[in-house]
Amino acid sequence: MTAAREAIALPITFLTVALLGGLRISDRVALLPPPLFALVLSVLLLALLVRCGALAPERLMHPSRSMLANLNGLVVVLAVFLATAQAFNAATPDSGMPRVLVNIAFLLLLANTMAASPDRVRALRSLLVVFGSAFVVKFVVLSALSQPAQGVFTRAIQMLFEGVTFGSLTQDVPRPLNGYVAFFTLMLYLFGLVLLPPGGHTPRSDATSLSRA
Amino acid sequence: MPDATIRAIGLVIALAYATFIGWVYARQPQNAAEVAGGLSASIGAYRVDPQAFEDGLGFFRRGEFAAARSAFARADPAQQDARTQFYVAYSCYRQGWGRLYADEALFTQGLEAVNRAIAHAPGGRIVVDDMDLQMRSGDELKAELEAGLRRDASNFNPLRLLRSRR
Repeated sequence: MTAAREAIALPITFLTVALLGGLRISDRVALLPPPLFALVLSVLLLALLVRCGALAPERLMHPSRSMLANLNGLVVVLAVFLATAQAFNAATPDSGMPRVLVNIAFLLLLANTMAASPDRVRALRSLLVVFGSAFVVKFVVLSALSQPAQGVFTRAIQMLFEGVTFGSLTQDVPRPLNGYVAFFTLMLYLFGLVLLPPGGHTPRSDATSLSRA
Repeated sequence: MPDATIRAIGLVIALAYATFIGWVYARQPQNAAEVAGGLSASIGAYRVDPQAFEDGLGFFRRGEFAAARSAFARADPAQQDARTQFYVAYSCYRQGWGRLYADEALFTQGLEAVNRAIAHAPGGRIVVDDMDLQMRSGDELKAELEAGLRRDASNFNPLRLLRSRR
């Protein structure tokens, strides 16, 4: 990994994700800090990245590196942590039952991926699916369900749906710009993960060597 | 360029960017003018447009409060100047004041403005040296705006009709 990537490209990429992940545009512009659960998920995801070899902390911070290089590495690790928390913040619905369900789904998916011990490429593909699905749920499905209905029939269906779910699924309808910002943020985040220094080995190869032994 | 130089530059850029992000999340600016004004105020480089401020003051003295607020907004686009925000709050108070009831929207806007004035004043103390005003401190104006927004038994006191605008 080049010094420019480690010292400039990675911190700027992840800090930008940290900045945009909490951006909510309505009548006012609000910047929401990550909720506590997003921080928990962020720790889990960092552990997963290290385990699957997508992030090699020893290539960022090590006694054999200079102090300046270690500081750069520390900045990258902290920026990845904040960006991850804000990526979860961006992909999670803002309120109600969907927020709880999506948070639980994130937790289960991360635990499942960790238990599966995938290699780097598979773990990154899995994250693409996880964040992509959450994005679709929040900005496509829930947004469509929460939009004011146009026709009488649609309105009746929507009222019936709200009645069945006790109104716990409908959300404040986000402005379209929020969806575009969240999409860009999540793509930037995944792009940043690809740029991280990978580890030298993967759990899959360990498993193979164990079975051979 | 040597690696050490790149690393040092990167560290400075990353720390500056992280500080900016922390500042933005703490201050929650609403537009680019507030971002620019807030950043320049933090290094002491923010200046109010004196001509627009004088225009606003002129409108304010003539009782053209909406025009005054418009001029004050031009003078202090980032809402960083305590004195300008004090006058914005005062214009909301004077326009929204009524013998029977206060205009809630204007008083709320005024309260937000006086809170900004107090927040930006050194030590949280704002005193305006203007003989035309009956309330010259941010604390008095804030108390008056809060009283106007309060809903209690005193709202039904007939003596309220005798009070006057300050």
